[in-house]
Amino acid sequence: MSSPALSLPSPTPATARNRRLLETLGALAIAGTYIYLVLNQPEDIAGGPGSASALIALSGFLVGAVLLIIGVLPTLPVSTLVLIPVALVLNIVLGQFVGSTLVPFYLDAIGTVLIAVLAGPAAGAATGALSSIVWSFFNPTVLPFAAGAALIGCLAGVAARHGLFRRFYLAPVAGFLAGIIGGVVSAPVAAFVFGGTSGLATGAIVSAFRSMGDTLLAAITKQALISDPMDKAIVFTLVAVLVYALPRRVRLQFPFVLRYRVLAGTSASQPIGQSTGQDS
Amino acid sequence: MRLHPLTSLAAAGSTAVITTAAASWPLSVTVIAVAAGLSVAGGVARRMLPAVAVILVPLVLSLLAMHGLFFPEGTTVLAQWGPARVTVEGLHFAFERASQLSAAVLVLLLWSFTISVPDLVAALSTRGVHARFAFVVASTLTLLPAISSRLGRIRQAQEARGLVIRPGIVGRAGAFRWQAVPLVLSLVEEAGTRAAALQARGFGSSGPRTSYREVPDPPAQRWVRVVLLLAAVAAIAARLWQPTAGA
Amino acid sequence: MSRSSPPGLAAGIEEFVFPGEQEPVLAGLEVSFAAGSLTAVLGGSGSGKSTLGRLLAGWLLPGDGGTLTGFLELAGTRLRFAGTTADPRIDPGSWGRQVGFVPQDPAAAVSTVRATVAEELAFGLENAGVDRESMVSAVRHTAALTGLTRLLYRDPATLSGGQLRRLAIGCAVISRPAVLIMDEPFASLDTDGAEDLAALVRNVVRDGAAVVILSQRADVFLHNADTWLVLAGGTVAAAGSPTEIVAAGALEMAGVVRTRPHTGLRPLADAGYSSAFAGPPALELRDVSFTYRAAQRRGWFRAQPGPPADIVLHGLSLAVSAGEILAVAGPNGAGKSTLLRHLNGLLQPTAGSVLVKGRNIGGQPAGRVAAEVGLLFQQPRDQLFERTVEREVRFGLERRQPAADQAVQQALAAVGLEHLAGRHPAELPASQQRLLALATVLARRPSVLALDEPTVALDGYGLAALDRVVRSTTAEGAAVVLVTHDLDYARSIAHRLVRLDAGRLLPAD
Repeated sequence: MSSPALSLPSPTPATARNRRLLETLGALAIAGTYIYLVLNQPEDIAGGPGSASALIALSGFLVGAVLLIIGVLPTLPVSTLVLIPVALVLNIVLGQFVGSTLVPFYLDAIGTVLIAVLAGPAAGAATGALSSIVWSFFNPTVLPFAAGAALIGCLAGVAARHGLFRRFYLAPVAGFLAGIIGGVVSAPVAAFVFGGTSGLATGAIVSAFRSMGDTLLAAITKQALISDPMDKAIVFTLVAVLVYALPRRVRLQFPFVLRYRVLAGTSASQPIGQSTGQDS
Repeated sequence: MRLHPLTSLAAAGSTAVITTAAASWPLSVTVIAVAAGLSVAGGVARRMLPAVAVILVPLVLSLLAMHGLFFPEGTTVLAQWGPARVTVEGLHFAFERASQLSAAVLVLLLWSFTISVPDLVAALSTRGVHARFAFVVASTLTLLPAISSRLGRIRQAQEARGLVIRPGIVGRAGAFRWQAVPLVLSLVEEAGTRAAALQARGFGSSGPRTSYREVPDPPAQRWVRVVLLLAAVAAIAARLWQPTAGA
Repeated sequence: MSRSSPPGLAAGIEEFVFPGEQEPVLAGLEVSFAAGSLTAVLGGSGSGKSTLGRLLAGWLLPGDGGTLTGFLELAGTRLRFAGTTADPRIDPGSWGRQVGFVPQDPAAAVSTVRATVAEELAFGLENAGVDRESMVSAVRHTAALTGLTRLLYRDPATLSGGQLRRLAIGCAVISRPAVLIMDEPFASLDTDGAEDLAALVRNVVRDGAAVVILSQRADVFLHNADTWLVLAGGTVAAAGSPTEIVAAGALEMAGVVRTRPHTGLRPLADAGYSSAFAGPPALELRDVSFTYRAAQRRGWFRAQPGPPADIVLHGLSLAVSAGEILAVAGPNGAGKSTLLRHLNGLLQPTAGSVLVKGRNIGGQPAGRVAAEVGLLFQQPRDQLFERTVEREVRFGLERRQPAADQAVQQALAAVGLEHLAGRHPAELPASQQRLLALATVLARRPSVLALDEPTVALDGYGLAALDRVVRSTTAEGAAVVLVTHDLDYARSIAHRLVRLDAGRLLPAD
């Protein structure tokens, strides 16, 4: 038979190991950078603005995020890959829409969390990191937060896998917890790269803690613990609203949603619970 | 001579890294001045200015207010009102950090405002991750401008159905669902079609690929890129070797 | 005719089921398409023709996309599917080189990552690793075939709908596939566009490809097809030559729209109408003029195709009495949509005034005027956001009308969707989505109903429902304004016909 193969060979597990390794390295780079920064910060902040911490925070977090992207991106099916630009657009546009309402939150992770819920933690992490990198085309100051955004995407995927989006009231709880972790991890970036925060409102909160004598990192971490959990709780809730508005056929396009029964009433064969009345 | 987009990226990135590593305000101010000059020469200053202002004005104000008034580590007090103390160290810190950040922001924005995105995409579209990364970048930049007109269309359709956006947070939140659900639905469905279209056109399959658009990449520029990257790495190494020098 | 050649593409589908569903979308279906032949697959909205087309083209992959039992055969290779995990997995890339597909919405087929039409055309060749010389000549040849030669250096984002469709066709045929499948290619094309497309299809057939056109309208051009397959309920209800099918009356049963042959202009259905309802006219335009303010946004993003800056309305005066049906016809870009947006305050006239039941609506937000003036847009998806059809129609009613239940039931019954009340709006086929959007407007019992191109995307059943709605609402005293490029339809239903040309109202003919 001379015609080219029309069907694909079965997937090989050989390349999967390398990618797993890259993902692990990326996660390690981010975790290691954070631990180093937290352990070394007391002497560093006195060392003045040119301290090595800024470079370590930047390079460690960025390298980690890039490794994550390199590891995850080739493994994603095209149907997920095509959704990533949509997610980034949602991050930017809905973020700006909410920003225009003078609400004291950022809400710039809606697309990231949406992908994480539909396609899993790895896709979520890559989307978060990519979001920061692409957004830095217009605003380079978001670039250092790539690791934090990746973490939120990953945590949202983990929450979805464990069924926290199956009950509507659990979504904000998951968001709150993810916000705590994300805020704490992003705080060193704000402290060491920016020497503060980029917004005026958040800056005022940091100033208040500083006036009580806190170190810069402590003050920013506390500020992050005030803003981020609320912000992410709202984002997770909005995403729950959005995914439940998607029609079944669209939701079930995503193997992750099917396999882990991420959303209520989307089992592979038969809707769970009150299935009798739904299909006839 | 036209710069290859990766060469200008290497230049911008290295400049940002070296400025951060050097942490000396004369260098930062010089970089700011050069970037501003280049943007005027390149004819992008007018488009860049609003973007720069949106980013830097709140950032710089926030830094000045935060460290100018509250810097517990500061010793040389210039003025004091209650808990707020204006210290020389605080102002110095704020100024250094602001100039350094402004320099990095300016060179990176200068890059993104002067490159041709299609050239960048073509340069990145070699194979593997690059092609996929290039897809994400280019597709986002294409979808973004279309989205505002699409949101406008949805808002009109909903208003024709009786949507009245009430002032206040509750009203806005209600309007969110009216507008975001149709937007997300249509985007997700379109993405499904696009995924099928791209796969049918061979996107995502492994194997060698070629490029229709030609982006000249003379060898000299490759060498320049290597040198720029080495310089950035050297700057980081030097800073880590002597963490507090220059401060 | 090369009737004896082996089929380019064939399929035997015992069953195809979407994930998580029990009812098959396609069942008991055998098709084959010979090289150099033209086949039309006709069927109403929701008959399964788009699913069949995507399945045949490798756009819907058995496995992740759904469970297929049966076989697909392409260029002599037969792939058998039993609905298990051991089934072959189609390589969409190599399948797509031999079967080209043009979806209903050509904008979604564009890669969005190429800056010019030429590069967009070459995208598939780049991924196949074709060398640059061959790419350049293939692009030139395809552009000539599809009439894109003058547009090669344009940004795909700035193309018009018709140009975009030609680009999508070009992308599908550039690898010279043995089979070309097109989903509703003639929808929303005006006469010139349809003739260009027909010539293109003839060329592709002459080059030896098997061309399959999926459509819910038996357009004039499709009468040239070798075979018609009529699809209903996911299976082939009738097959044969066009004359056989027409003679058997299979089209009407399947909800396919038969285009009326052009036999000159018919007289207005009910000319010389005089209103039986007293009071001021339901809708009145007094000297309305409008100019778009040039609001081009410049900034970070690529320049976007904004609204054409010079669409204006020149001093329009018009009155529509209660119970009257007014049709506004005119070519694309004459300002029809702009006029419609004035009727409910989405656009405010730069001069003149709009009166609804004698009251000036100037300055009122469109959301409030909506209670009196129901406006139906071309894109129903922009309006639908609820989880079920019933909730969608009910939305916004509770507080205003005590008999909301009854209003919902009546509106759904009027458009013939009452049996689908529990379905998700986004899962309905296009024709029923338009009817649902119409029902959401009807439930508010507006005194003016304004419809933008109401016939587009409607199948036979949908058109019948639209007719019923327009007649019954006017009988109850509402005024209907419909804007359409389909003169024949306008004449079949309207009491009065006006033409809008370059922003000026002219009496029809």
